[in-house]
Amino acid sequence: MLTVTFGKRLAGFALDVRWEASEAVVALVGPSGSGKTLTLHCLAGLVRPDSGRVALDDLVLFDAAAGIDRPPRTRRLGYVFQGYALFPHLSVRDNIAFGLKGWPSARRRERTEMVIERLGLGGLEARSPRELSGGQQQRVALGRALATDPDLLLLDEPLSALDAPLRRQLRDDLARTIREWGKVTVVVTHDLSEAYQLADRVVVYEHGRVLQSAPKSELLWRPASESVARIMGMRNILHGTVLKASPDRIQLRWRGQTLEAVNSPSRAYLPPPGSPIAFFIRPEYVRLIRKDRGAPDPHHHMNLMRGTVVSQADFGTIWTLAIRLDEPGPPAQGDHDLEVEVPRLVHEILELDRDHRWEFSIHRGSIQVLPA
Amino acid sequence: MDLFPVWLSLRVSIVATALTVVAGLPVAWFLSRRRHVGKQLVAALVVSPLVLPPTVLGYYLLVLIGSRGPIGRALGALGIELAFTWRAAVLAACVGSLPLLIRAAQAGFESVDERLEQAARTLGRSEASVFWSVSLPLAWRSIVAGIVLAFCRAFGDFGITLMVAGNIPGRTQTLPLAIYDHVQANAMREANLLALLAVAAVIVLLVGVGRIVRVRY
Amino acid sequence: MTWLRAALVALVLVVTLGGTAGRAAEPPTLTIFGAADLSFALQELAARFEKSAGSKVTLVLGSTGNLARQIEHGAPADLFLAADESFVDELAARGAVIPQTRALYAQGRIVLATAKAFGPRLSDLRALTDAKVKRVAIANPQHAPYGKAAEEALRKVGVWDAVRPKLIYGENVRHTLQFLQTGAADAGIVALSVAGVPEVESVTIDAALHPPLNQVAAVVRRSARPELALAFIQFVNGPEGRRVMKRYGFRLPGEF
Repeated sequence: MLTVTFGKRLAGFALDVRWEASEAVVALVGPSGSGKTLTLHCLAGLVRPDSGRVALDDLVLFDAAAGIDRPPRTRRLGYVFQGYALFPHLSVRDNIAFGLKGWPSARRRERTEMVIERLGLGGLEARSPRELSGGQQQRVALGRALATDPDLLLLDEPLSALDAPLRRQLRDDLARTIREWGKVTVVVTHDLSEAYQLADRVVVYEHGRVLQSAPKSELLWRPASESVARIMGMRNILHGTVLKASPDRIQLRWRGQTLEAVNSPSRAYLPPPGSPIAFFIRPEYVRLIRKDRGAPDPHHHMNLMRGTVVSQADFGTIWTLAIRLDEPGPPAQGDHDLEVEVPRLVHEILELDRDHRWEFSIHRGSIQVLPA
Repeated sequence: MDLFPVWLSLRVSIVATALTVVAGLPVAWFLSRRRHVGKQLVAALVVSPLVLPPTVLGYYLLVLIGSRGPIGRALGALGIELAFTWRAAVLAACVGSLPLLIRAAQAGFESVDERLEQAARTLGRSEASVFWSVSLPLAWRSIVAGIVLAFCRAFGDFGITLMVAGNIPGRTQTLPLAIYDHVQANAMREANLLALLAVAAVIVLLVGVGRIVRVRY
Repeated sequence: MTWLRAALVALVLVVTLGGTAGRAAEPPTLTIFGAADLSFALQELAARFEKSAGSKVTLVLGSTGNLARQIEHGAPADLFLAADESFVDELAARGAVIPQTRALYAQGRIVLATAKAFGPRLSDLRALTDAKVKRVAIANPQHAPYGKAAEEALRKVGVWDAVRPKLIYGENVRHTLQFLQTGAADAGIVALSVAGVPEVESVTIDAALHPPLNQVAAVVRRSARPELALAFIQFVNGPEGRRVMKRYGFRLPGEF
């Protein structure tokens, strides 16, 4: 169990965070400059917070009130820095063994060999960091951090220095490695898919504050606010007016449509009728209705709407459509009201190249309300 | 021609350079850390010898280490002679070359990526170990440049040495002082010969050391 | 390259640890701090004294001011031969020299020297104002007695303001003489005792134009060989010494 509470004032920036994690892997996401790396520095003891407490299980790393501030070297942690910070004047082997200084030489050699092997760095032991590829450097950095058998593993943008195709593959490797080694891990990333794949819990940062800390499934479906939704990269963030609110459902008016959405379970959110409300619709959950099966059944198809595809984009495996509703008035998002994602197969079957007028439905569970 | 000044200068400058390195590296390290209090004051003190005319600097030093000075008297009580001995020449050479070494080493330390030092800390190293295993090796090039400068400055010191060690032939007359004496007496042949010897000695020493100290990494 | 490494280490060790820094078992050495104007005279006197007294003499020459400062702060001099009595009196007041040993040994003279490379010998101080004379060298009046005397003489004759922009200062008379020898200066005022060099022609300046350059010697209190130092003063003021001093143009006690 990792409990983190602290505040830190810097020139022009105030960090005030509080979150807890019993999960093995936590991802800190948010825009750059929101305090994620600073949080890692505080967890590592490289920066001293002004107040608060950091504890890993029963080991207190920092406690302002009790005057405890363990120096980095006693915190039993491994840190993979952004850009890896490999020692340029040491070989791969010496980099990895760097943290093992006090160990008896036989054990040190053994451990280093084990790490090298497990991370697939065999054959590279004598090379110097600048002779390695980006992926190899990343693995050396990881190996160096893991060699000391830390209790806490901190990763700062572990994949951002790599180019896209490599990143995909290494992400899988990294996820697997993290799970194999089983350390409590905190990963900082601005890449959401990275956060989803690597972590069990996601903590969302903005301007030095925590907007939401939740297991990733909850976050995916129930962002706590519009800010969180934006940071998580959710699309179709829309604004309507409340018609009726009950604990499990909210009826709202948007672009001339009456929509029914599920209410956010994290709060008993009961906005009064007539008040503004933010919500989002997942693009991949908008159902285009086949025209060869007769008129749609209103019980089967909720939130039925009608519109025209004004533009489409091909992303290889999926197509993204921009749909404008058959409603007078300006569309909600520039030239369109909704973004819809369809798999390639569906795109072909429905002949979306040719046919642009469609009816579509959205299950109420796919319209998520964003509490203010 | 008396070659005593050549040996004396070599001896003084080698010892002085060694002392300068031992005293100067920690100061350079301290100055390269970002957040220390009093850093500006120390930095100003370090540079000040460069600003004063050497004979003036020498005079102030003499006031301190001479027979009337606090340091001179304390050392005298212990039976140690400092002023007007070759040790004073070492001191003079140190004072002149410390600013050069410190500036060069400081620049070297500052150029070391802070994250490398942070990484070393997270990997269990004490501050001293971070210095020896990360900062020093990575700043090595600049430090060596500083040492070369310091050595040359130590070898060629004139004004400070003249005041605190005196120009006593056969005792504290270093090579620069000897050359100057010959020049003053318009004995240009001797002066030129000694000057040539000085340059040759320094070149041999630096080339030799340069070959031994191969810059790693 | 291990042989080079070994050779270098050996060299460094020998140089720093070996050797005596000049202190072998020797006959008693007399260390004399002497003013720069005595350069030539002292060298001859020292050689003669070494022969007659059987002891070594180490000469340290410099500007009287610097030497006085050093003696005050413990320089290992046995004897101080100053070019200006005020420095010796100051040292006596501070207890650095033995007042009873204070002895006047000569009176210095200044000359108007012309660099042969410049042209015919100038015979009057007023000639220094001539536009052809570009640079005039004197010892630094701030701390060199002969420089002070030079300034006095120039003022007395009324050409100080005119000549001042052309002045270049030597640290002491030997340094000043060097300017003339190398042609850095066209003319200058130096001590008579050093002016006997081939590159320069000179004419003695009237002694009335400046306060007397009383050259005074004294034994340094810290000296371990005060008798030897005293013996040297007596040698300088004795028949052999006086002959040498006279040759170098000094006025001797008894003559002024």
